Amino acid sequence: MIWLTWRQFRVQALTATAALAAFAILLAATGPHLASMYAASAIPGCHGSACQSAVHTFLSRLTVTSPYPIVYLLGIALIVVAPAIIGIFWGAPLIARELETRTFTLAWNQSITRTRWLVVKLTLTGLAAMAVTEALSLIYAWWADPISKASGLATSGELAKPFIGGRFSSVIFASAGITPLGYAAFAFALGTAAGALIRRTVPVMAVTLAIFAAAQLAMPLWVRPHLIPPDRTIATIDSAGLDFGNLTATVVPGRPGAWILSSGAVNAAGQPVSNLPAACQAAMAGLKPSSPGSCMESRGFREAITYEPASRYWPLQWIETGIFLALALALAGFCFWRLGRRRT
Amino acid sequence: MSAVIETDGLGKRYRRRWALTDCTLSVPAGHVVGLVGPNGAGKTTLLSLATGLLAPTAGTIEVLGGRPAAGPAQLARVGFLAQDSPVYAGLSVADHLKLGARLNPGWDAGLARGRVDRLDLDPGQKAGTLSGGQRAQLALTLAVAKRPELLVLDEPVASLDPLARREFLQDLMEAVAEQELSVVLSSHLVADLERVCDYLIVLVGSRVRVAGPVEELLAAHHLLTGPRRDPDKLPDGLEVISASHTDVQTTLLVRTSDPIMDPAWTMSEVGLEDLVLAYMSQAAGRRRRDNRRHLEVRK
Repeated sequence: MIWLTWRQFRVQALTATAALAAFAILLAATGPHLASMYAASAIPGCHGSACQSAVHTFLSRLTVTSPYPIVYLLGIALIVVAPAIIGIFWGAPLIARELETRTFTLAWNQSITRTRWLVVKLTLTGLAAMAVTEALSLIYAWWADPISKASGLATSGELAKPFIGGRFSSVIFASAGITPLGYAAFAFALGTAAGALIRRTVPVMAVTLAIFAAAQLAMPLWVRPHLIPPDRTIATIDSAGLDFGNLTATVVPGRPGAWILSSGAVNAAGQPVSNLPAACQAAMAGLKPSSPGSCMESRGFREAITYEPASRYWPLQWIETGIFLALALALAGFCFWRLGRRRT
Repeated sequence: MSAVIETDGLGKRYRRRWALTDCTLSVPAGHVVGLVGPNGAGKTTLLSLATGLLAPTAGTIEVLGGRPAAGPAQLARVGFLAQDSPVYAGLSVADHLKLGARLNPGWDAGLARGRVDRLDLDPGQKAGTLSGGQRAQLALTLAVAKRPELLVLDEPVASLDPLARREFLQDLMEAVAEQELSVVLSSHLVADLERVCDYLIVLVGSRVRVAGPVEELLAAHHLLTGPRRDPDKLPDGLEVISASHTDVQTTLLVRTSDPIMDPAWTMSEVGLEDLVLAYMSQAAGRRRRDNRRHLEVRK
């Protein structure tokens, strides 16, 4: 059965290996120079505010140095899209094509039970899906290490913007750490289960893509912020690095690298305000010598911040991966149930 | 004699439509059994149930004394060739043999290779580029080389041209003779079965209309031709399967164990095809009458 699985999977496996190799070569060709740029910058061993300017210099240089911005974005895009491709081309045909071309009559009449057939197929292909995606993510993490370090040091999100932001930003979180494992397993199981239900390869592919894309969007928008109840703090306007455009905080004082879920100014009575107070607008326009920050400060305004501290990065990674792995197992269970009912 | 397939009140429903209802039959071992019936009689459903590809909605089915597809041992005892003999288009002939070898502990590699050589199949050729006849031969090779006790074939020749049809059936018979297999073979064409089957089951509307060894069936049925008369006034022990009348003449297909002595009748032998058709039209006629009665009641 292992042989048959490999024989039927071999083209996809070789394609994936070739893609992985091409990506690795691209990264290997550009990675060392990126690392040397980082080593030559003022970031290693910097202290205090010197770091901010060093990070600024390094990241600004990178944004105009070809091909780093492109490779950076390409890498993230690849890791985010890989599970969808796996779901469509590995998961969807696994059962659907057997049913569609009626070859299941051949496969399931050898001296091997349908359950065993499915166990071997799901395990081998599923593990390959997870391995490929995680391998992509790991070699990319190696390549992007200088950029991650630099944007991790940046106190202001503005600095890291060309590079999407810190490790908590929605796309980067899902493409780093162990989450790619979960996304790959889920997409693969989703395609397989949809195939067992719909039984026609092409519609199954479309359905797999639609559901997986929806899950990829729903996770950062509606699920991830609620996985661990966030912390709250009230900070002074200056220490929160306020963005005066919409009065949101850019840093959590004393919590470097925290993930800010929401933030907003509150007045002395603790009520939220959405606009710069009229009395301080003149300060914003530069008509008075005092800064808008100290203007708000003196009138009793504070910044209320809801956030996840940096220490929750790995717990959040584990929970998100766990959710997708559990969904994948449930979908695999559905495949067994569906095939066990022998509705063909 | 033990039965290879034994069903009792077997039924299968797809969503709301019953494809097979209340089917009770016993297929004896050691025969090449032809399962014949019109399209939609439930032949494919019955054979899918026998190989465990489907699970029954009602009733029971036992194959070689076990539950179909209950485990590897049961699967090893039954070879199946599905309608249109599907094979993996992307796999070569050699790959298919390797598949059979890997998935069947009882695989007879010599037999498989011998068949492929004799049938002139190119081991390197992709199965997707084989002709319909070659594909059927390859699928049959897979089914017989696992050395089953029972070989089930669902309309194996329906999509083949007449020459490929004859070659396939000839080849099947050789395999059967060599391996002493029991075979159940379905078809809606009696002509195909006539050449190979020694036992016949006529299935219409999921009901067994007649079953028995072909020779006995042929010996027990006669075509009677005589002056027109009411078929009700016939001697006892004579079962009329079909009757047709012209103005002056009556033709009857009857089943009887006793010879017919009445000189008014001219007795002649009946062919298998006519026999099967008579049973099929008898069943169809009955159903039509049932429907009509049904409509009248509704009024």
